[in-house]
Amino acid sequence: MANSTSLKSDAVLEQMKLHLATDAGKQLTKKIGLVYQINIAPKKIGFNEEIYIVDLKKGEVTKGPYEGGKPDATFSFKDEDFVKVATGKMNPQIAFMRGAMKIKGSLSAAQKFTPDIFPKPSKM
Amino acid sequence: MAMRELVTGGAACAVPGSSSSSNPLGALANALIGSSSKTQERLNEIPTAIPTSSDGQFYSETNDRLATLPGSEFDQQQFLQPNASGSEFLRGFHSAGQSDLADAWNEIHHPPVPAHPELGRIHDGGVRTQLQPTLDGTPQRVLSSFLHTFVDSSRGGIPFRPTPLPLLGLSEGDKQCIRDRSSIMARHFFADKSEDFINAQVNALLCSLEIDSDIQAKGPPPGRFRELEEYWNESQGALGPGPHAADGWIAEFGQHRAEHGGPDAWAHSFVQQHGANGWASEFEQEQTQIAQMRGANISNLAAMEQTRMLAHTLAQNNDPKFQNSKFLQFVSKMSRGELIIDDNQVKPGASSSSGDWAGEFQQQYSGGLNWADQFVHDAGPERWVNEFTTEAKQRGSVDDPWVDEFSKLHIQDWVEEFGQQDEGAADNWATAYDEYLNEQEASKQQSDKSRGVYVFSDMNPYVGHPNPLKEGQELFRKGLLSEAVLALEAEVLKNPDNAEGWRLLGIAHAENDDDQQAIASMMRAQEVEPTNLEVLLALGVSHTNELEQAAALKYLYSWLRHHPKYGTLAPMEQSDSLYYADVVRLFNDAAQMSPEDADVHIVLGVLYNLSREYDKAIASFQTALKLKPRDYSLWNKLGATQANSVQSADAILAYQQALDLKPNYVRAWANMGISYANQGMHEDSIRYYVRALAMNPKADNAWQYLRISLSCASRNDMMEACDARNLDILQKEFPL
Repeated sequence: MANSTSLKSDAVLEQMKLHLATDAGKQLTKKIGLVYQINIAPKKIGFNEEIYIVDLKKGEVTKGPYEGGKPDATFSFKDEDFVKVATGKMNPQIAFMRGAMKIKGSLSAAQKFTPDIFPKPSKM
Repeated sequence: MAMRELVTGGAACAVPGSSSSSNPLGALANALIGSSSKTQERLNEIPTAIPTSSDGQFYSETNDRLATLPGSEFDQQQFLQPNASGSEFLRGFHSAGQSDLADAWNEIHHPPVPAHPELGRIHDGGVRTQLQPTLDGTPQRVLSSFLHTFVDSSRGGIPFRPTPLPLLGLSEGDKQCIRDRSSIMARHFFADKSEDFINAQVNALLCSLEIDSDIQAKGPPPGRFRELEEYWNESQGALGPGPHAADGWIAEFGQHRAEHGGPDAWAHSFVQQHGANGWASEFEQEQTQIAQMRGANISNLAAMEQTRMLAHTLAQNNDPKFQNSKFLQFVSKMSRGELIIDDNQVKPGASSSSGDWAGEFQQQYSGGLNWADQFVHDAGPERWVNEFTTEAKQRGSVDDPWVDEFSKLHIQDWVEEFGQQDEGAADNWATAYDEYLNEQEASKQQSDKSRGVYVFSDMNPYVGHPNPLKEGQELFRKGLLSEAVLALEAEVLKNPDNAEGWRLLGIAHAENDDDQQAIASMMRAQEVEPTNLEVLLALGVSHTNELEQAAALKYLYSWLRHHPKYGTLAPMEQSDSLYYADVVRLFNDAAQMSPEDADVHIVLGVLYNLSREYDKAIASFQTALKLKPRDYSLWNKLGATQANSVQSADAILAYQQALDLKPNYVRAWANMGISYANQGMHEDSIRYYVRALAMNPKADNAWQYLRISLSCASRNDMMEACDARNLDILQKEFPL
């Protein structure tokens, strides 16, 4: 909310950032050890995308293009679809088949991208 | 002449008296030709006469042909109405051979001439509306399944047996439609069978539906209109092959117009290709299907499905002219639901700009044919016909532009396409239609939910309860949330304007961990009572949970504006462009005004959640809790905020407080599960999810999280029970 873009995914990824600092998050970096780039588009994939780097090597989430080389896999989502996948409402395989998720990069890296790496938001 | 006969004959096949409403094209053509060839006046001049003479007339004309048809001997005494229209038909074809319309008419109608009350009414718009049959959806289902069995019988070639059916309440028009349609279909199904077999099948079907078979059911036997065939072949010879067919057709058309003084040639050609009543009844069938479903709200789906199929077929035509045609655009708009037919009126669909279409159309045709406009906006087909008739009277040659427009299409391609579609579709139209219905109903529910439309439970034992609101409040107080939801649904069904019913329903849903439904009911509550502070806060919270920041901010701001004490703080005309920082500043002012008001601190806490300033949010909630220590939802808000700022251990303590105050607080149980899961304690999280689900099996979020936790805990053995939503097994396996 602080900036003008109000992507729902921003909230999820912000929580991811905090999550990676916890013990559970550190286990995640040990287990996966890959760098994902996630492109989030507000309405249509490919348009006005925001780039996020979920670095599960170092345990960081940053905004903007990756500077440490090439990410292991790059995903493109619409804002809503990313939230659905991250909260387990949509299975990544199904998202991919429906064209709601586009993948570039290593397939084996992409297969480790599952809903359980994201922390779940609690509700008030 | 023949065209008029064709369509009025078809119209008469529909609901007598209301025929034009179920066959606007028929009425269109009727008005069109009636006005241009003056037969309208002639019709009105026809004196009332002894009906039986019509039968005699009919037979003298058609005896030789009818003799070949089994069952036709029954026709004489039965159903004057269909016979009358049938004779109309045949008369039309006979007169076609002659060039002079008036002669033909007079020749056939030696006085005494039969009365055609239905024709009279076609020209009299006022009467028609009152004669609309009232139909409802249930017999439609019965009929649909019955027609399935008929269609199925074609597969094995098994003779179809008459079946007793409940009273369907079919009108004469419906019967006529079924009769026509089934005889056409039967000829598709049993193309390899004998004529006798087909007739037996159709008769069995009609017998079950208590429809007397009559001449119309038999369809045109081959060679029935030999002279027409010759005529057609003759005219066909003049046509160039391939893409120039349409141009040739125009030339042909013009020629015949000059020779015969009317568009009857075209009608004949069409009839020749498609059987006498096939086309009219085909169209009418479509119309009547829509009419039959009136009242049930599936009618639009039916219309959409039909137009979708039509649009598909039409779209396969590669002709660029055709692709750009208005008709195709209209049809595909209808198929996308941008235009809907409701009570036989075309209306713009909710999400469309079909008004543009009408406007555009009118512009292009410089107002001459403003029927489209009339049609789309306020006129049903009945009024449309009237409009058209007046229009046509003013402009004697109104049919010329229409014909020109129409002839731009490659009429032959279209005709072929249509024929093909009919053959392909006849086989499975009944099945496909039903499938589509169910599909649409399912997907409608889905999309309703996401659009903020409240979705009611199917089975509700509280409907009919004398005081469901009181019952709902009682159940809510006891903590039986799912039961309370049902009772409150019964209340708002009974009193849709009960804001308190909707509000409590929304709170029950929120506590039951279903924010979509909570938002839907709170929105209804807000409609009734736009300034209720609790409702506004609840909407703000639910939208925050759904990460819908702009909506949340809007509701929280209106909370401030409508607050009796702090309303003065908020400038009036700012609600359009809300800046988060401004809203927070206003709330901080409010908190300074009265630091003892827990509610201000609660809203501030929610606002800080929105901006993910969790530390400030936690501080606000803790301040509020000092003032309201027994507010279980406040404890849960604190817990959720702590959990989202990865203080899961603290969060669990807060949830525990909430659950001590309200043991059936499903949301808190589910949040417990989330907190354990986020700490990597998946076995524990499963127990809490299962506990939450045991209290509200409809909590979809919890099911999804449970699935993730099961896979993280490597409990794939329980995945099946989770997917089947088998709570018994899960509760046994994961007791808390």
